[in-house]
Amino acid sequence: MTQQTISYGRRAATYWFVDGLPELLFGLMLIVFGGLAILWRVDGPEYWRRFDFAIFFAGIILYGSLERRVLDFLKLRFTYPRTGYVQPPEEEEWRGETMTTLPLRHRPPVRENVTSFHLRTELPIVFVAFLWSSDWQSGWSEIGRWYAPLATLALAMALYALNRKSEHPYRWWSALILALAGLVFLWVDVPGPFRHPLPLLLAGAWLSAQGAYTLVHYLRTNPLPRTAEGVRA
Amino acid sequence: MTDQAQEIAQLDRVIHEPARLTIMLILDGVSEADFLYLQREGGFTQGNLSGHLTKLEDAGYVEIEKKFKGKVPLTLCRLTGEGKAAFAGYSQRMMGVLKGNGSAG
Repeated sequence: MTQQTISYGRRAATYWFVDGLPELLFGLMLIVFGGLAILWRVDGPEYWRRFDFAIFFAGIILYGSLERRVLDFLKLRFTYPRTGYVQPPEEEEWRGETMTTLPLRHRPPVRENVTSFHLRTELPIVFVAFLWSSDWQSGWSEIGRWYAPLATLALAMALYALNRKSEHPYRWWSALILALAGLVFLWVDVPGPFRHPLPLLLAGAWLSAQGAYTLVHYLRTNPLPRTAEGVRA
Repeated sequence: MTDQAQEIAQLDRVIHEPARLTIMLILDGVSEADFLYLQREGGFTQGNLSGHLTKLEDAGYVEIEKKFKGKVPLTLCRLTGEGKAAFAGYSQRMMGVLKGNGSAG
């Protein structure tokens, strides 16, 4: 019955996450570029090793420039032929709109559109990545092996709190799993320089696991229509 | 004839039909949606949706554009300016009727 109280605009915004692709893609990016940065730290030229975080930031920039195109490409093949296409209203479009109190008119959600994934999920993770940069490393190295558990806990809390009222909230137990995963590194000692990518790798694994589960469930429950009629009027 | 009855008589009958009202509600909340999405959201059959969309298009409330995104054919539907105005007017009139009857909060 909850579904019936959700406006069509909000449902359209939620629809962006129906296939798990945004999370899967962003999670994989975190793992790939976090992993590349660690490899760089291990095998890179001696002087340049300290700039391992730059590899990660280059990945973020690359991802940011390609994200929408890659997602559109994948959604065109997996999602739109199965359950259709919808473009939620852009945030800018509704900013200047006069408030209306007519219940029949389901006011489209302000902020609840595809861009909120950037603000509520991607941005906090990128912020944690900033702690990785060399200027911060000296300060953070004082807390030693507590860095990864604390940063992961903070990240889990931020992701849960920021997304709590969004079109794509994370369940509390899911955020708890992420927070607990960080605690492992209280017992597993990781050398100093490698501690900083850990929260990002954990977040990447957490996001891509959720995205993969959603994608598999979506593909199983929404088989392709037998003919092309499903996508034609 | 009471004022309320007059108001009801003046409701836009193109929109007032439940299936078309559903289509208008969905399209009012989004920038654009394709045929399959509308079909699934509204629980329509293909023929049913097609018929109602044609009526809304004939009334100038909805514009339908067939195009390809990559190799996938999409039948995109969106409200026209006239459609948005008509739906806002319909909502206002309906609310007036319901409020007059003490049925709307």
